[in-house]
Amino acid sequence: MERKNFLKSLLVGTVSSSVLLQACKKDADVTATSTSTSGTTTGTTTGSTSGTCSVIETETEGPYPTKAPASYVRSDITDGRSGYKMTVSIAITNYNDSCNAVANALVDIWHCDAEGNYSEYGGSGSQSTNYQSVHFLRGRQTTNSAGVVTFTSIFPGWYTGRATHIHVHIYNASGTSLKVTQIAFPEGTGTALAAVGGYSKGFSGYTYNASDNVFSDGTSLEMATVTGNTTDGFALSIVMAVPA
Amino acid sequence: MMKKSTIKLCYRKIIDSSSTKPWDKFVLEDSYAEFRLQVQNFTQVKQYPSLAELVHEVPEAKKINQMVGPAITGYIQQLNEVVPDILNNLGRRFIKFKTYQFEIINSHFDHKEKHQVAISFFSEPMIWYGTIDNYLLLSSAGQETEEVLTHLLQLQPYLSIYSLTQCHELDTISG
Repeated sequence: MERKNFLKSLLVGTVSSSVLLQACKKDADVTATSTSTSGTTTGTTTGSTSGTCSVIETETEGPYPTKAPASYVRSDITDGRSGYKMTVSIAITNYNDSCNAVANALVDIWHCDAEGNYSEYGGSGSQSTNYQSVHFLRGRQTTNSAGVVTFTSIFPGWYTGRATHIHVHIYNASGTSLKVTQIAFPEGTGTALAAVGGYSKGFSGYTYNASDNVFSDGTSLEMATVTGNTTDGFALSIVMAVPA
Repeated sequence: MMKKSTIKLCYRKIIDSSSTKPWDKFVLEDSYAEFRLQVQNFTQVKQYPSLAELVHEVPEAKKINQMVGPAITGYIQQLNEVVPDILNNLGRRFIKFKTYQFEIINSHFDHKEKHQVAISFFSEPMIWYGTIDNYLLLSSAGQETEEVLTHLLQLQPYLSIYSLTQCHELDTISG
């Protein structure tokens, strides 16, 4: 039986018959797409196309996709990394407006784990659908009306050439970058840094703030307050002024 | 009759401003918003707002793909490990995937309409028995029964056989 006639006979009783008729036309695409030969690409297709009859998706309509936040958006960024628990509290103030709180600012933080390693975002090649821990110790929160964000993390480790630090990137509510900066840690006897002791590496070869290429010109604006101990965990807090 | 092989398919789904499906639009919107956030980690973006130019000037900016990927993991999860768009000849999606790769083909800090992304879906292993016209005769791997459930899949743009492992008959060892 000639193929086209056979397929047309299937139209009896189908629900979306106009769609099927359309697809059986010679040049039909169900959505407006075309693939050019020069390597540029456009759009997607709901059915396979080749200039002959195409099947159309005929399945029970599934749940519609729902808005999903970026997987950076979480308060607990630990992702199972070992280390001493530390809460991070950052208050964002506006130095263009009497240091009033900046609400609805996006705050990204990221830092290395106890061994001094950063997560790779998602790997350089293909990713698994089981994406646990691919961007450990990276997170994003939005400041509340008091201009504050809080994260749960671990006390960072360190790596050669840098003092212990946390990266911070602050954006306004429309996504414009306000400040890229880093948080520095107090050093010396009785500090959290001393209590943690550099984890398994100790401090052999450690770069202190005064020798650090980012902090050597002064850390007064980037220096955090860190309280607590290795048994109960640590609490870091800092106020950061940005040109909002 | 060709020898059957174990293959993995790859479907590279392109999403840009001409895409109309809700899932596609969420992915495009959210990946563009994340692109604008992450690309500001490269100060040269002010001078080179086009991603193509930025990567040319700052090769390190190539990692923007990995930096932006986490913006869409929620949408990948919503697919429940079934590759979108690609239908068997009965009109059903049937290809399972456990790995994928996100890439930004092009984008521009000031021109949202230039944002174009691709998601490559890599299928679980399937058995390829042969080809009828331009249809692949396939089944999922690991069916132990004599009667195997199969699919017919039309060859189409952006769909490829990504890898192939020949099935070898075991040597007969007598004695």
